[in-house]
Amino acid sequence: MTAAILPVATGRATAAAFWRKLRRYPLLGLASVLVSAAASGSAVMVPILLGRLVDLVADRGSTGDLLGIAAWTLAAGLSAAVLTGTARWLVAEWGVRACADLREEVLDHALRMDAARLEAAGSGDVASRVTDDVEQVTDATQLAADVFGAMVTVAITFAGFATLDWRIALAFLVVFPVYAVSLRRFLPQAEARYAAERRAVAVRTQSLLSTFHGARTVHAYGMEDRQGARVEQASRGAVVARLKAVRGFLWFANVMNYAEAIGLTAVLLAGFLLVRADASTVGEVTAAALLFHRLFGPLGMLLVTFNDVQSAGAALARLVGVADLEPPARRGGDRPTTRPATSVVATAVRHHYLDGPTVLHDVSVEIPAGQSLAVVGESGAGKTTLAAILGGVFPATGGEVLLGGRSVKDLAPDELRRVVGVVTQEVHVFAGTLADDLRLAVPDATDQDLHAALKLAGADEWVAALPDGLATRVGDGEHPLTASQAQQLALARIALVDPPVVILDEASAEAGSAGARQLDQASAALLADRTAIVVAHRLTQAQTCDRIAVMAHGRIVELGTPADLIAAGGAYATLWAAWSR
Amino acid sequence: MAEAEPTRRLIGEMFRRQRRGVALTAGFWSLHQVCEALVPVAIGLVIDQAVGTGSTWAMVWSVLGVFALFTALTMGWRTGLWFLSKAELEEAHLLRLQVVRRVVTGRGISTDRQTGELLSIATSDTQNAAELLEIGSRVVSASLGLVVSTVVLLRIDRSLGIGLVVGIPILVLALNALGPVVERHTSAQQESLGQAAGTASDLLTGLRPLRGFGGVDEAARRYRTASRTSLRANVGAIKAGSAFVSVSTFTTGLLIAVVSALSGWFALRGRITIGELITIVGLAAFLTDPVLNLAHCVFQLATSRASAARVAEVLAAPERAASGDAQAQAGAVVLDQVHTPGLDGLTLTVEPGELVGVVTTEIAAADAVTDLLAGARVPEQGTVTLAGTPLAEIDIADLRRAMLVEPHAVDLFGETLREALRTDDGQVDDAAMTGAMTAAAMTDLGQELDHALLDHGANLSGGQRQRVAVARALLADRPVTVFRDPTTAVDAVTEHAIADGLRRQRVGRSTVLVTTSAPLLDRCDRVVFVDGGRVAATGGHRTLLDLPAYADVVLR
Repeated sequence: MTAAILPVATGRATAAAFWRKLRRYPLLGLASVLVSAAASGSAVMVPILLGRLVDLVADRGSTGDLLGIAAWTLAAGLSAAVLTGTARWLVAEWGVRACADLREEVLDHALRMDAARLEAAGSGDVASRVTDDVEQVTDATQLAADVFGAMVTVAITFAGFATLDWRIALAFLVVFPVYAVSLRRFLPQAEARYAAERRAVAVRTQSLLSTFHGARTVHAYGMEDRQGARVEQASRGAVVARLKAVRGFLWFANVMNYAEAIGLTAVLLAGFLLVRADASTVGEVTAAALLFHRLFGPLGMLLVTFNDVQSAGAALARLVGVADLEPPARRGGDRPTTRPATSVVATAVRHHYLDGPTVLHDVSVEIPAGQSLAVVGESGAGKTTLAAILGGVFPATGGEVLLGGRSVKDLAPDELRRVVGVVTQEVHVFAGTLADDLRLAVPDATDQDLHAALKLAGADEWVAALPDGLATRVGDGEHPLTASQAQQLALARIALVDPPVVILDEASAEAGSAGARQLDQASAALLADRTAIVVAHRLTQAQTCDRIAVMAHGRIVELGTPADLIAAGGAYATLWAAWSR
Repeated sequence: MAEAEPTRRLIGEMFRRQRRGVALTAGFWSLHQVCEALVPVAIGLVIDQAVGTGSTWAMVWSVLGVFALFTALTMGWRTGLWFLSKAELEEAHLLRLQVVRRVVTGRGISTDRQTGELLSIATSDTQNAAELLEIGSRVVSASLGLVVSTVVLLRIDRSLGIGLVVGIPILVLALNALGPVVERHTSAQQESLGQAAGTASDLLTGLRPLRGFGGVDEAARRYRTASRTSLRANVGAIKAGSAFVSVSTFTTGLLIAVVSALSGWFALRGRITIGELITIVGLAAFLTDPVLNLAHCVFQLATSRASAARVAEVLAAPERAASGDAQAQAGAVVLDQVHTPGLDGLTLTVEPGELVGVVTTEIAAADAVTDLLAGARVPEQGTVTLAGTPLAEIDIADLRRAMLVEPHAVDLFGETLREALRTDDGQVDDAAMTGAMTAAAMTDLGQELDHALLDHGANLSGGQRQRVAVARALLADRPVTVFRDPTTAVDAVTEHAIADGLRRQRVGRSTVLVTTSAPLLDRCDRVVFVDGGRVAATGGHRTLLDLPAYADVVLR
């Protein structure tokens, strides 16, 4: 189950983390609490004034007094209106600000997450967290105002009871044991159910994402029924999980409603006895009953939103789970102006993914500054893993990698990327303008820099021919780029960064052989004067490197110059013969 | 607020589909509302008949009455909510599947929505749209609550009741007038939230490359920008919503003040009893609930309608190309004098059973040939036919069974290798699967059909994914199969093995290989060399090698 690989925070950690986010806005928080209290205070005034009205009528008061009470009721209503609106705004803004901070932190941490974890989890789970779960929590902050207001109203109404006959207030306390018992029984089950619901939603998101991404393949096979059925299953799973959570909630809601009945009965009964004993007035009992009735609104609100709040809590736990991953290392110093010569040395590098088998066995190799090494071999031999480790994309589970004499582990992420650039096997065109796409690598690059980098990557001609040049929108749903154009962009980004060490992982693979030749030239231009590691299936490209390492089953089985290896008649010679056939 | 026709139709369909659930919800919630309205009446009665008189029997009856009332009340609410949840979840599920179907069926739809935005439409918008069902039920039950309260008031005092009958609709209409303001803000908020989510999923999809060139900081900064834009829209919507809440709270406050002052005056003059006064005052307090409820519906309606509009937009998006209705016949695939960017009058015939290689000097030409055969592009001039029928005129489902164009970018589906290889529900034995896997040189995957695939094959290497795709296409065994550069991520030895496997597996079937890979071309019956957008030469791979232009493209 992929969803289990990324952590989900515990309830306590979630609350603490969200509280930390809320605390960043102390003024907003203070204002929210005060205005909410004032709003609820004004709202509570209304039933108390209505109780007075009843007493006034019972005592045969004057019309003038009646008008006075009416005026006060109107004033209380007006101030309640203004304050309630303001409170809602303040609380919701407080919530969405904290939420925005949290979602940014989540994405930040997701982007910097330990690569092994990310590889194992896949991007689907993270994507579902920054989309579905963020949405769930953001929506809930709108409710937060209502919930918060309701809670303050409940608290103030309790206080309102104190202004009435204390014996009636005491009778009202019988509801608390009922609340306590049912919450104790309900909460643990609810937590598990809502967590299960969020997991089901994550599975649904993965299924939807892969379907939308692979729409072309679905079209090609005309397999919409089959793929539709897959999505249906995942979506159905989320529906069933949600209904399970709702069913549990309804039991709880039932108990809560009876608690209201018990409370109301207790208040009326106490009032009945007190009035009969001449210890209280009908007006007081009326006020108490109305005050209690007034609680139904906020209590009902708390009840109705409980479902969404629980669900949002489960979503929040998933967000905090990512946000609480070890904090990313901080930034390094400034960009060096010159490109220092940098060697790459790997000593006894071993690696395995999470619980997987060992994919690299004690690989040692040294690439002197300015030289190039091609890595060839069957797919699955560990070439991509070795390239990623040498490029510091993720740390090896054993052994050491030195870049220019410094251990990869000691380099801050920023510093590392200025030393070594990696063009991955996967190509992605980021949504936005072409210039935006390139500036992801170097945000402050000038248009000239961009043009120079594109020229080096051999992309200047087709970019000039685009409808809006650098300002053309590319990526998902925009101006389509071919695989080799996308690959040229990838090379151009590295050219912009201009690191002394470059690692190309099958940089011409996805282009198809028609474009490969062009890309070979672009790669050659990029690699000139740099220390280079080139993972290649295209042996033509490997032949141009200073040395070639042949990998099989996680080991380097041959290492030497192209000419020596061909002459030796080993694994490389076999590959070369197949290639040239 | 004028709605586009597709949105209105969609909403109509939603209610038609879920009419039973909505009717049941509205019914049970109406029961609940009536009971809620009766609670203040009951309080008034108890105070009048029991507390005021001190009669024990009256108090016993009161307690029993209160519990009976609450039993009906809670049952009504719970049952209503249960039916509503079922209807809402079911409807969101149906809409979601419709969206997915719409995107994956036939040749797909023309939309400029990013994958991330489509995701947000298929998840949050379908859910928001389904909440229209709740709004429907709430409007019915809240209105009934209002009617009951008004009737009770009318029975106590005619003039007060009439005042409410006239006053409340005016209040609700006034609140309704604020709807469009709220809707504008909410719509902007939903839109920007969707865009932020789109940015996030775009960056995460490209995370591996992003880390390679060190773009993480900038990516985080960009998401922050999108998130801040979304936050601003969010705060705007909150302010509009809060203003709305203020106004609606004030109207209900006004209602209570006026009703209680009037009824107090009536009671002073002895026109009504104290018990009746309490009932009226309690009812006035209760009335705020349905009025606020209706106001909230106005508010929620804005969000839901904006979402429904987005769902409707996808469902009503034009198809990229319509399906024809002709039957697909077995026969030759012919490109006749086609002109399109990249091609300049290309003519190409693939006879049944032939294995044909297509080599182009330019990528654009290769793209054009692939797109034309896939039906993703219509030629400006000339025709593309299967057994004499233009592809565009053939029923799309039929065409897909006759002809497969395997996309170069590999997308795998399913949680196991077996699932990833299957593309239809027909019977496939393990032997056939093993055969296809062997032909695609998938030996290193251990042939374990139930080997788990994480996140659509993310745990496979590029070369492994490519070979799974080849095996999948071979297993689908279409009369015509087109491959575009199927072996770019595999090593030279494996490439030879795949070339042999392809040849073996496709005997008696038509196969087109758009590639410049020499091992693949060497196994073709015939290779067509396209230069300058038209055929420059045709013949065997080894014969064509004598042409310098050809050798220059395929030799590496």
